[in-house]
This record gives sequence, structure tokens and C-alpha cells, in this order.
Amino acid sequence: MNRRDALTRTAWLLGGTLSAPTLQAMNRWEQLALSGRTHHRTNSFLTETQREIVARTADLILPRTDTPGAIDAGVPDFINLMLQDCYKKPAQDAFLTGLSDLERKNFLTLTPDQQTALLKQVEAEAQTSSAPTYWLITKELTLLGYFTSEPGIKASFDYQPIPGKFVAIKIKPGQKDFMYGNQV
Amino acid sequence: MNLNIKADKAQTYDAIVVGSGMTGGWAAKELTEKGLNVLVLERGYELKHVADYKNAMKDPWEFPHRGKITNVAAEEHYATMFFSAKEGSQYLFTNDKENPYIQKRPFNWIRAYHTGGKSLLWGKHTYRWNPQDFLANAKEGIGIDWPIRYEDLVPWYTYVEKFVGVSGQAEGLAVLPDSYFLPPMAMTAPEIHLKKSVAQKLNRPITIGRVAHLTKAQPQHLAVGRTDCQFRNRCTRGCPYGGYFSSLAATLPAARHTNRLTMVHNAIVKEILYDEKTQKAKGVRVIDQNTLEVREFYAKVLFLNAGTIGSTSLLMNSKSARFPNGLGNDSEQLGRNLMDHHLAIGARADVEGFENDYYFGARPGSLYIPRFRNWGADKRSYLRGFGYQGGASRADWSRGAAETGFGADFKNQMTKPGPWKFSLTGFGEVLSDPKNRFYLSETETDKWGLPQLVFDADFGENELAMRKDIMNDAAEMLEAAGFKNVTPYDNPVAHMGLGIHEMGTARMGRDPKTSVLNKYNQVHACKNVFVTDGSGMTSSSNVNPSLTYMALTARAASYAVAQLKARNL
Repeated sequence: MNRRDALTRTAWLLGGTLSAPTLQAMNRWEQLALSGRTHHRTNSFLTETQREIVARTADLILPRTDTPGAIDAGVPDFINLMLQDCYKKPAQDAFLTGLSDLERKNFLTLTPDQQTALLKQVEAEAQTSSAPTYWLITKELTLLGYFTSEPGIKASFDYQPIPGKFVAIKIKPGQKDFMYGNQV
Repeated sequence: MNLNIKADKAQTYDAIVVGSGMTGGWAAKELTEKGLNVLVLERGYELKHVADYKNAMKDPWEFPHRGKITNVAAEEHYATMFFSAKEGSQYLFTNDKENPYIQKRPFNWIRAYHTGGKSLLWGKHTYRWNPQDFLANAKEGIGIDWPIRYEDLVPWYTYVEKFVGVSGQAEGLAVLPDSYFLPPMAMTAPEIHLKKSVAQKLNRPITIGRVAHLTKAQPQHLAVGRTDCQFRNRCTRGCPYGGYFSSLAATLPAARHTNRLTMVHNAIVKEILYDEKTQKAKGVRVIDQNTLEVREFYAKVLFLNAGTIGSTSLLMNSKSARFPNGLGNDSEQLGRNLMDHHLAIGARADVEGFENDYYFGARPGSLYIPRFRNWGADKRSYLRGFGYQGGASRADWSRGAAETGFGADFKNQMTKPGPWKFSLTGFGEVLSDPKNRFYLSETETDKWGLPQLVFDADFGENELAMRKDIMNDAAEMLEAAGFKNVTPYDNPVAHMGLGIHEMGTARMGRDPKTSVLNKYNQVHACKNVFVTDGSGMTSSSNVNPSLTYMALTARAASYAVAQLKARNL
């Protein structure tokens, strides 16, 4: 089954304007969220070391530049919460497996360049996988956590919570994407 | 013998309306405005317009899961997952786990038990049926003939449209009669391109979606406290502007304004009380959903507007010596002929070019492509037809998940509008079939002791044959526009109920032997009971049904009041 199809339809039934890639991402998310049973943990889903690896991964995906980075926007805590509340056991297990690999490869002790090189390798391997992986989950959650956060939205986009109209326009040089806060 | 006459008087109204959603609101408005004292019974909790839209003004970062639903919520909302799969609107959907039903065949029973019901959550696409929609059953020998024609509804369509506020473009198409319109919403550049290409190459018209949004509020809208749509497209969290039509924003305030409206919440109507002597309904018996207290209310006339499944199951639960199989069920058609629209099928494409074109605002609507199959000279192997909703938008940051790359440049790229994507999704007519039905379980009850409902319905050969065309024709149109990577899709999980256009289980007809309601939505054999939600639909058309339900309700209310005045009820 393809949940993206259902979501495409849903978006329009509900009068939505979700883009196809949004739906693509949501599709994978939903599959993750729906597959299997819940992985129960009472405390933090991630151990301290695991959390540091996730934080470092997120920071390499969306680093601090002239705008805030993933860590500035609270992405590591967000990923921990999402894994705990919204993902089911198969996805959680796939995530933890990939995380252990990085732990085994002493990811945290590598230089930034070595870390980037290793993640490129992980990314390339993830392309061949049809199941969710550490890389896919971390990347999607980093994007979501960052680009829906207050610092992320305000630094990255032209945020318009009350646009007041819908008009076709021409793009201006350096045009940032408009965000309306209606994705959630 | 009645020992408590005083108490009875206090619980007596001119009319009782069961349900406060799309059609319950209309019944309340029309009946109160015509001078009746009306009691509206709502089975769910009280939801106040504006004050209780708790998520309406929240920014994305105020949602802990940023819109995603949790595992716990997914379990609680198994029927509504497709529609409540957003953190912001989930609270307006009913908890399915607490309100279970039985699926002999898969059915998504999507509910919103609170003031306003599903009128807060609807897609808002608003279309008149065309004259053929009312003739097709008789012509093709499907089900039974409608007891009314398009012309019977025209004045009521217009009447309802003026109050609802429907934005759209008059096109003069026989297949999609024009409504009384507010200004249309804009199209994006690739949408205009598709419209031109499809008109030229395939001779099919495309119009902007006709949606119940105030693009220019009129005095009748401002009078009930509604203002213009703000193009936030956060509609399903509840709209504090009253920008889209709901009973909460429009009809219930109008009814309240008469000072003749009483509303009781948490009131599950258990059964209709039938008086064997007068051969009329005398009132209803109600269970408080929280305290379980049982009360009775009395009235001269009852309007059932509990949603198709709700109203029909209420009739089923109302058994008496005269009606051992449910009130008004002489025809044995109650619960049968369950219809919906079939959907989740169409095509998508990438749009090259238009890099300098963009848009401002979040449009709560789409394009609409009216039916073209089995219309005019076109003849297919199946009966009836379908329409499409769809449109083009630019991809946002979430495209990054499917792209390779990360780091500073990647991050910067995600802040810019992405490439255009186009998608079309079909909505097909479902034929009336007595085998598609729901009924009361003989063994399972809910927590109020009422029988659970068993759903036994699916799409038939006609719908499945039609789906091939829906998919291929969508792809053909996107190709006609020169779009790239055209990808048809057909979602196999799209079973009945998902369209939330469930209808037909107490159908209208001329003959009491084959139908439950007459041409005024009146129960044939119990004249002071009117059912004016989707229950009465004799066929389903392929356009969204709410406007027709509303027009039928206003028409029936007018008739009921005239009959009351003439002392015929």
C-alpha cells in the first residue's frame, strides 16, 4: 500500500496544499509510525552516548551557519521524543542498529571531516534500502524538527501565519520559501 | 396515562432536531426562523465556536510532535487515521476505540461527536448536482427513481448557497450547474497551463474548485459573525474567523439569534417514541453520555440529522408494535443501499519550468475537473462518472528527505521554493446496491447499551471498472500539459467510508414498499419524522454531497412548518 496516495487525497479533501515531496516524506513517516508494535521505554529512548551521536549527526545535516543549526533548534531532544512516541518497534530497531554501527566505529572520536565522510557512506548505503534506516529516520526528523521549530522557521523562511489572501506572484531574487504554519 | 404532565410540558418543544452538524444546523436555523421552538440534541460534548478551537492560532513549534500523531493516538483513531493524522485537528475526531463498530467488510466510519459535527472537518467543496444525476437511476434501471428532480431543488440550492457563501467561477456547464458565487480563488501558473492544454487537446473544461469559503463576506455572513477567509489553510483545527462554512460558525448562531433555540449536549438519542394511537412520533428517549441519566423530550415534529449512519441506526433502534424492525422500515430498506464516493486514485507529475512563478497564501481549495465520462456522446462500459480535485504547488523543505546531501549548502537550498508538483485525484460515483449495508449487532453493545453497528459494504464491478478510467484519464491530462514523470496511482486501501460521504441507508422514493422517505424526506409511515441528512439519498452522483443535503433540509423544513400550520402533522 502507498500511504502517500491516501495522504495526497487527504490533503485535498481537507483543502490542503501539501507538496508531493512533503507527502513523500510523510508517507515514509506514516509507514514507520504504523509498522509493528510500540517499543516501550519508561525514560529517555536514547542513552547519553546514543543521544550524542544523534546530535552530532543532526548537526552535520543542518549545521549552524549564519542561521541557527539543528542543535540550536533542539533537534536531538525532538528526535528522542519522536522515536519514543511516534515510531513502532521495527523502525526503532532499525534506527538503533544503525546507531550501534556508528558507535562501533567510534563516530564521536572522529574528526569532523571523517564524520562527514562516514555519514556519506551511511547515506549511500541507505539509498539501497527499502526499509527505514538510521540515516533516513534521522534525516527526516532533523528536517522536521528544525524547519518547524521557531528558530528554524524564522531564520529560514518568510513565515506568514495569516496571509489574508491567495495570489499568483512572480518570484523575487533571493526569495525565501513562504511558510504558513499549516503543515501540522 | 401520564402522571407527570408538568414535567412533560417543560420538556416539550415544537420540534426536536437530532444532531448539530451540517444538516442539523440547517434544520435548527430554518425551523426557529419560521417561528418554532426547537430543541437540538447533540450526542457529543459542547464545542464553542472560536473559544474552543484550542489549536487554531498555534504555531508549528507549539505542537510537541510537530503534527505527527503518536502511537497511542493512532490506536485510538483507527478509522480516522487518514484524516486525523495531524496533531492539530485530532481532537475534533471521535475516539474509535471508545466507540467501536464491527467491520464485516472494511469500512471507515469517521465521526466527530461534538457541536458542529463533521461540518468542522469537511472538505468544503460545494457543487450542485446536475439534472441527469436525478434521472440516471430510472434511465438505467439502478435502484429506484428519485421522487424529485433537479428543478425541485434549484430554489433551495440558491437559498442555501447565499447563506453558506460559495466561492467559484460561473462556467455555464450543464454537467456542473453554477451556484450563486462569491469571487473565485486564484489558480497557480501550472494550473492555468493545464486548464488551457486540456481544453485545447481534450476538450474538457477545468474550473477552480467551488469551496464554502468567504472570499468576500456578504451582510448575511457578517451578521452571524463570520469574516473573510484568511488563506491560512488550518481549517481542520477550527476557524476563528468563520472563514469557511460550518454549523458552528453560521447556522447555529442564526438559530440562536431567534431566541427559540435550546441545545442539550451529551444527549445520545436512544430511540424515537412512537404513539400507536396517533401513528406519529411523540418524542425521543435520550441517554446522557456521561451520567447515563435517561430523559424524554417531546415535540410535534422530529428532524433526524445525526449523519447518515447515526440517523438510520436511530430509526433501527426505534422498535414498536407497529414497527418491529425499526421505525419506518416497512420496505426493509433501512440500512441498505449504503453509498460513498470512491477515491484515492489519480495521477501525479513533475512540472518543469515555471521557475519564476510562485504564489502567496495557503489556498484551502484546488482545481475541479467536472465529469466528462458517460456524458454527451461519450459512452463507457460502466455507468456514471467521476470528477477530479487537484492542483500544483511548489515543494517545500520536506523534499530534502528524499534528496541526497546534507550540510550547509543543503540547508540553504531547503529554504528556497522547490520544483512544482502536480497531482489529480478522482471522486467516483458509487451505485446503489441493497447488498451494501449496515445493521445492528445482535450480540455486541456499546458502553451505553446500544447495539454496535455491523458494516458490510464494498465497491462493486461498476466502481472498479470506472477506476481504470479515473487513473488513465488523469495521466492523459497531465501528459496533455507536457508535464514530466507522470505517475498514475490507485490506492488499494480506499474502501468505503473513507470518502466520508456515506449516504443512502433510508432512501427517498415514491413507493413506501421500496423506500423509507417520501419526496419531502418524510418517513412514509410516520409523517412527523423527517430525515434530511445523507440517509435519504437515492443515488450518489460523483460530486460532493453536502450542498444537496443542506438544500434538502431547508426544503423539508419549509414543508414541515407549512404542514404544521395546516394542522397536517
